[in-house]
Amino acid sequence: MGAILRALRAVVLLCGFPLLSLLLLALLAGADVLALTRLAGLAALKIVIVSFLLAVPVVQGVLMLRVPRAERPDGVTVTEADEPRLWALVRELADATGTRAPDEIVLTGEVNAAVGERPRLLGLLPGPRALHLGVPLLTGLSEAQLRSVLAHEYGHFTGGDTRLSALVVRGRVQLAVVIDRFTSRADDKVAAERARQERAAAKRLTRGRRPREVDTRGVGLTYRAMAALYTAYAKLYLRASLSTARAQEYAADLTAARITGRDTTASALRALPALTAAHDFYLARYASLGVPVRLLPPRGEFLGGFARMLAAREENLAELRTALPAAPASPYDSHPPIAERVRRVEQLPSDGAPVAAVVRVVNGLTGEAPATGAALDLLTDPARTLAALEDVILTDDARSFRRAADWQDLLDTAMSAHLTGADTPLRQALAAYTRRPPTLNDLLTLIDDGALWQLAHRLPLSEQAIASKGRAFREFARPVLRTSLRTMVLAEFSARSLLHWEFSWAHPATVRLPGAAARDAASTDAPDNTRDTDARPGPDSEEVFEAALDAALADHPDTAPLRALLPPSPHPAEQAS
Amino acid sequence: MTILLWILGILAVPVLLFGLWLAGVFLKEFFSPSPDDDDDADDGVGAAQAAAAPGLLPSDRQDTAYAGPLPDDWRAALDAVRADDWRPAADLLAAIGRDWEGRAAFSYALSQLAVREDDWLLAWEAERADDPDAALVRARSTVGLAWEIRGARRATYTTGEQFEGFHRTLRTAREQVARAAALHPDDPTPYIAETWIALGLGYPNSAMDKLWSEITARAPHHFEAHFAALQYWCAKWSGSERLATAFAERAAAQAPPGSLLTAFPLIAHFEHDESADTEADSTPEMIARVDAALVDAAAADPAHPRLPELRHLLAFYLSLQGREEAALEQFRLVDGHVNALPWRYRVDRAGYYCQVRDATVVAARATHGTPPA
Repeated sequence: MGAILRALRAVVLLCGFPLLSLLLLALLAGADVLALTRLAGLAALKIVIVSFLLAVPVVQGVLMLRVPRAERPDGVTVTEADEPRLWALVRELADATGTRAPDEIVLTGEVNAAVGERPRLLGLLPGPRALHLGVPLLTGLSEAQLRSVLAHEYGHFTGGDTRLSALVVRGRVQLAVVIDRFTSRADDKVAAERARQERAAAKRLTRGRRPREVDTRGVGLTYRAMAALYTAYAKLYLRASLSTARAQEYAADLTAARITGRDTTASALRALPALTAAHDFYLARYASLGVPVRLLPPRGEFLGGFARMLAAREENLAELRTALPAAPASPYDSHPPIAERVRRVEQLPSDGAPVAAVVRVVNGLTGEAPATGAALDLLTDPARTLAALEDVILTDDARSFRRAADWQDLLDTAMSAHLTGADTPLRQALAAYTRRPPTLNDLLTLIDDGALWQLAHRLPLSEQAIASKGRAFREFARPVLRTSLRTMVLAEFSARSLLHWEFSWAHPATVRLPGAAARDAASTDAPDNTRDTDARPGPDSEEVFEAALDAALADHPDTAPLRALLPPSPHPAEQAS
Repeated sequence: MTILLWILGILAVPVLLFGLWLAGVFLKEFFSPSPDDDDDADDGVGAAQAAAAPGLLPSDRQDTAYAGPLPDDWRAALDAVRADDWRPAADLLAAIGRDWEGRAAFSYALSQLAVREDDWLLAWEAERADDPDAALVRARSTVGLAWEIRGARRATYTTGEQFEGFHRTLRTAREQVARAAALHPDDPTPYIAETWIALGLGYPNSAMDKLWSEITARAPHHFEAHFAALQYWCAKWSGSERLATAFAERAAAQAPPGSLLTAFPLIAHFEHDESADTEADSTPEMIARVDAALVDAAAADPAHPRLPELRHLLAFYLSLQGREEAALEQFRLVDGHVNALPWRYRVDRAGYYCQVRDATVVAARATHGTPPA
């Protein structure tokens, strides 16, 4: 079967989608007619009522096919007057690929570039076009690589081997939205019903009755049944059109390589998965570091920090760019595995065009303008744009968060809140054991009294640990105890502002222990030595700390080294009296 | 309406078929129940009769902690340790002196007592700092603790937490082994203890060869040294069937009679035998191995601490080879203690031992008509 035939088949299937609904409705109507003509009275009425109930979701399905619009990601729309250089680039590439330029450009906060159309009639007719351009992509790609990515996107609209395939691909996008709608509506119904039943259960409780169990099994059933039907059909379509869609991707890659050069296209393809992974990492480890304490990086830095991290972690990125994922994301993903795409592009004959990757300058924590050579420089005022975009992509709730003074401040505040709030298993066990608010002092006293291992039995432990006895049990419990005790002691240090966290774009944050302060406390009776011990380097204090933890949790525990590290009691006056 | 009936009819067909099938199965089971555990019950009766054979103990009276009876002074010393008195044990270990077989066996028995609680050992160490004997027991007990944490199951059934604790404890043990070796440079026992660490930490073969040369320089034909090293060379640890068999054959061939190293070709076979029948155990090669082991056992010092272990293996393989009379002779010599290969790998080692032993008794009766006296 040729490519044209395959595409044709897909288009027929696409048309079949609304036909499916019509067929269902016709069947129901037919049943009604039969019932009314052949049966009399109640039985006929019953059948008519049932058929109406069944028709409702079908009609809803038909309406839904018409309604959905690809949901627009939050972003900032930029006009030609705002960003003349970006628009010029976009127009130039549209010309080069032989398709029409988009009607608007929307900058978003995702690692993605997409030319979207709001097509009419399930993608059978074209509609207005918008270019969605992720700012993280602008940050991570060079201008040449961005051109390659855009050329690829336009390549989808020029039609690779057949005009029909553009249609097929648009249909795929549209169908995915439909299925999404169906399942999320069904889920919403279940969630609403659950909330209603839970309220009812709460009411029952207040009246002193036994609450009924929340049961949402029957809810959203008609919806889910319809969704299942349409999903099954949509999958059939997706499967039938998969080869067409993949051929489209390869063709788009070829277009990109033709316009921007083989090596640039390959480097852009390699950079994409690496950037996605890096951005996920950035969001999890840096940008959202202060979310538990309702704290955000300084304005503009929520997006802007990404460039700094990319610069500092260039080595890791290089690794990611060489090791490409070989498996497709899902069986219905229209994109072939990126490794395969890179292989095909790199097999093309050399065209002599130079590679243009981002050249980054490591510019520290408070460096001025980030990376040079990045596509971000196309923007008139990157800093202002980042700040404006940030206001749009953050949720209302997040916008109300406090802003940190700088990244270091963000780290300090987040870590100290994390330590103080950390409800470790040991704290819980201690609270359960003593029935008092857990404090480090109580814990150390308890260890001194020889109750550590009784306490350990209150920890959440594995089956094997619980079954073990004596020394083996203590070995099982020790790692849990140690992590928890470490957190508790660090929290104590942190509460007295003795800890210093070292922020780094290249490494995980490291903690600097209050070595000097602790030794001051330890050697109060020998004040002449303080100056001497102060001069000793940091790692030493870490060893002392670890050894003190070990001693406090030994088979025969000794808390003295740990107590020596802790600052003297904050209320010496009270103790003296 | 007829259309609806048609639809219902089509839907009903599979349901009807399923119902018919279910009824069929039910009736069949009702009139001719499938055989279940009747065969096992017969076995149970036979086993009960066999256990009545004179002089052989039932499974609940088998000692599952040792392979054979302990010498009186050993038992007394171990009992004292259980009562937190370490002095008799320390004196005995000192008296055993350079009898490396005895030192390895007794220090192992002692260290096992410290795996659960080690207060007596701490007292010993506190009173006699740098006592090489205490250092040896300490190192061996930490190795034992590591294996206790790991548990005896295969790697698939061992949790990450168990492995983590196992490896951490073994690394501690390695330091203690080094200390024990430094305190008593002539003693091969610390290196034997390290072989169990080599298993757990997966030493490379080259490191194991180096360790082995330390051992053989001090005790060339040591039973436990070979036992541990053979485990290392088995396919399930860091070797292969070929390496293990070659190691065992070489050891057996080079050892003087009475050193009991003829046990190892049997163990190498046992560790890699996956077959379900006894054909592989009755090859001329296996019969020759068993014969060699019989000669070796006869030549050994009757007080050799490892002799019962060889006898257990002999009893097992003689029985599998259909040499019931000879097997029963070995069974009688070791009856009462079952902590030895091949029984040791079963959860119910006493039950397994008695099952094989009693089957041997029954088979001997069948062959000779009369129960052996």
